[in-house]
Amino acid sequence: MIRHRRSLILLLLLTWPLAAAGQPAITPPRTVDGVAIDPDAELVVALADDTTNMDPRIGMGSIRSNYIRQVFEGLVDVDAQGRPVPGLALSWKPVSELTWEFALRRGVTFHDGEPFNADTVLFNLDRFFRRNFDKWGLKDVLAATSFEKTYPFVTRWEKVDDYTVRVHTSEPAPTLWDFIGREPMVPRAYTLKNGVDGLNDRPVGTGPWKMVEWKRKTSMVFERNDAYWGTAPLFRKMRFQTIPEGAARIAALRAGQVGLIEGVPPFDAPALAQDARLKVVSSPQKLSCRLYLNARPKDKYDSGGKDGLFADQRVRLALNLAINKDAIVKKIFNGYALANASPVASVSYGYAAQEAYPYDPARARTLLAEAGFRDTNPLTLQLLFPAKHYGQSFDEMTPAVAEMLKDVGVQVTLKPVDFATLLQTASKGTLPPNGGFAACRTGNNLDADDYLRDWAAIAMINWAPYPPELMSLYTATRREVDAPKRLKLLADLQRQVRDWAPVVALYQEVKVYALSARVLRFAPLPELNMDFRGVAVKR
Amino acid sequence: MRAFLLRRALHAVFVLWGVVSAVFFLVRLTGDPTPFLVDQTATQQEIAEARTRLGLDRALHVQYLDFLRSVPRGDFGTSIREKRPAMQMVLEHLWPATVELAAAALLLSTILAIPLGVASATHKNGAVDHASRLASLFLQSMPSFWLGLMLILLFAVELGGLLPAFGSGSLRHLILPAVTLAAAPLAQNVRLIRSGMLEVLQQDYVRTARAKGLAERFVIYRHALRNAAIPVITVTGLSLGFMLSGAVIIETVFSWPGMGRLIVQAVPGRDFPVIQAGVFVFALIFVGLNLIVDLLYTVVDPRVRLT
Repeated sequence: MIRHRRSLILLLLLTWPLAAAGQPAITPPRTVDGVAIDPDAELVVALADDTTNMDPRIGMGSIRSNYIRQVFEGLVDVDAQGRPVPGLALSWKPVSELTWEFALRRGVTFHDGEPFNADTVLFNLDRFFRRNFDKWGLKDVLAATSFEKTYPFVTRWEKVDDYTVRVHTSEPAPTLWDFIGREPMVPRAYTLKNGVDGLNDRPVGTGPWKMVEWKRKTSMVFERNDAYWGTAPLFRKMRFQTIPEGAARIAALRAGQVGLIEGVPPFDAPALAQDARLKVVSSPQKLSCRLYLNARPKDKYDSGGKDGLFADQRVRLALNLAINKDAIVKKIFNGYALANASPVASVSYGYAAQEAYPYDPARARTLLAEAGFRDTNPLTLQLLFPAKHYGQSFDEMTPAVAEMLKDVGVQVTLKPVDFATLLQTASKGTLPPNGGFAACRTGNNLDADDYLRDWAAIAMINWAPYPPELMSLYTATRREVDAPKRLKLLADLQRQVRDWAPVVALYQEVKVYALSARVLRFAPLPELNMDFRGVAVKR
Repeated sequence: MRAFLLRRALHAVFVLWGVVSAVFFLVRLTGDPTPFLVDQTATQQEIAEARTRLGLDRALHVQYLDFLRSVPRGDFGTSIREKRPAMQMVLEHLWPATVELAAAALLLSTILAIPLGVASATHKNGAVDHASRLASLFLQSMPSFWLGLMLILLFAVELGGLLPAFGSGSLRHLILPAVTLAAAPLAQNVRLIRSGMLEVLQQDYVRTARAKGLAERFVIYRHALRNAAIPVITVTGLSLGFMLSGAVIIETVFSWPGMGRLIVQAVPGRDFPVIQAGVFVFALIFVGLNLIVDLLYTVVDPRVRLT
């Protein structure tokens, strides 16, 4: 058995991506695709909001990620297709069933000249898992993800040499490369000297951009990191400008006062694309929007003694069949969304496409009747809806979905709430038995596990806990270190989750950007952040 | 006068205590900020631990007493979202951005209103009066976000970037947001001055002044306007309060880094310390402005005595 596992580990080792060693610095090109570029240009990028923090430990939500990932990098990078590629680590591999080894990139320095090495990684692991704060004399921060709680099976880490780190676990952890690798690395000496407040206010990373000025709620200015180890941006300066209003962002782009805008409303995109001075590009995102339905047993929420009304799989499946997702994608998102029946985002590692839920109101009625919900005893749904949080298209979609559910006999009460109220209801477990909510979830990790763990432990977004057989399968995906075998398990789990239908899958977001035609080689990532490495500005 | 000022200062302390206490309890009625700070897959135990770390698990009266002890020192705590001193954040947005914008809009709305309102009253039912009333109606009825966007489209896009579409820091940046913010108060002031002037121009002392052979301009601006301006002072005081505190839509459209948007963003984010510090500063501004308005009455109308 052990020999068999060793051979699998060896196979995995051989198939894992290995990158070339650090590349020597080269003279930046003066042309791109035959077009003369301006290496000293400043690119102004308009975003809807400013970040609230720059210390990655505090949180990496969608807006914040955009800022933080310009300055900081993790061990594992991501390419334009969303695939994991070497970042600050050249390679990563399991060296035994319970040990992962990261080979670090040599010659990398932080913006202040501090070298990146194994000591940096150990310090960061201490911060991730809240260890040795006394030893470091470091203030703890309230982190969005509690590594020590979420990944309690990570037991210790060690330095093998200056550029090799091993992480040990108490059980096989096939996604360790992802949850540790995607977390940005901060400098050790700088953080110890300036404290976490210093790190938050004046961040110093290894990334392609150095932050040089931050006017809160207004703008952040970056300068190219000329000592960057990888493909650097081909322009000198970048400013992230906060412009909260979508129409104002578009006006600023059309006036030529900004070079790129994010979050273009779907129905504005075609008009912008017709302007010869502009380009419109888009990419699927890891934002999956769903209806979460109360399928919790009565001992898992503040129930008043009643099980969730949606515990019956047939009911949840019926609601999936009642939604015309193609119409939503076309009419509300103008094609800038995907109907995805898999519980995993289409751009995640391990995603397996699943058969779409057909739009079949007749079958939906039949399933509801089989579950005991007929015209004389209709199914009721109190649907919480966080208005003005996910954008105008989401706000238009939710009432449309409610109407589709009404068409199959569900009595829907739509209750707009502010996002904080929704979070509180979900976190305290105070949904009524016939309750549900419309919400979107995203993540910073690449692996499918990021999505599939949604139904493993009772959490804010888990209102349909895995039944024992799915829990076993899920556990198997978390213990299988052999990559091909694990991919098969992941695909199997996605198929079974699709059939079990824990949520009503609505759409996966496609993010739309508009940019000046002078901006060359900008490719949107299927990630929360933008990447300007290799991007140039026409002279 | 001294007694008046002392009494008003005492009133101010009670008003501010009432405001900070009300806001302290009201924001807590809106719920718990902790779910914002943790991952969406966080368990109830993790959320409970986060609440403890923020001190939100303590009894409400303990939190309130702590808060009251800190307020006189200007310490409103640390922003839950940004981890920075809340009062520092509010003051950074108040000065210069909010004050600059409010002062410019106040200047525009009063300086332009005086000649327009006077001309409208002295040319009652004439072309100038009709144009002025129509323009006032138009400016008052237009939603400020729409006016702002139209000005951006005109001056930043169609006229080839004559004025910047967003941002702050120079006079050019200030023009469009100040004009947008000044539009509604300007219209209001024009109408107030017009109606005040129409009333005053009928008074005996105006007739006497004219009978004395004083120049018409002197009669209007020295004798009539001074009396017609009293309601304008009251409204301007309130308008300035609105401009300082409630210009959030203009700040959003023009990406102006003012205080209004800071507070409005803090409310859905349940950033209690920032809301408390912001409301305290607003209350202080309103109390101060009311006092200034009362003092101004004595300057404009010598019959008014403050006791």
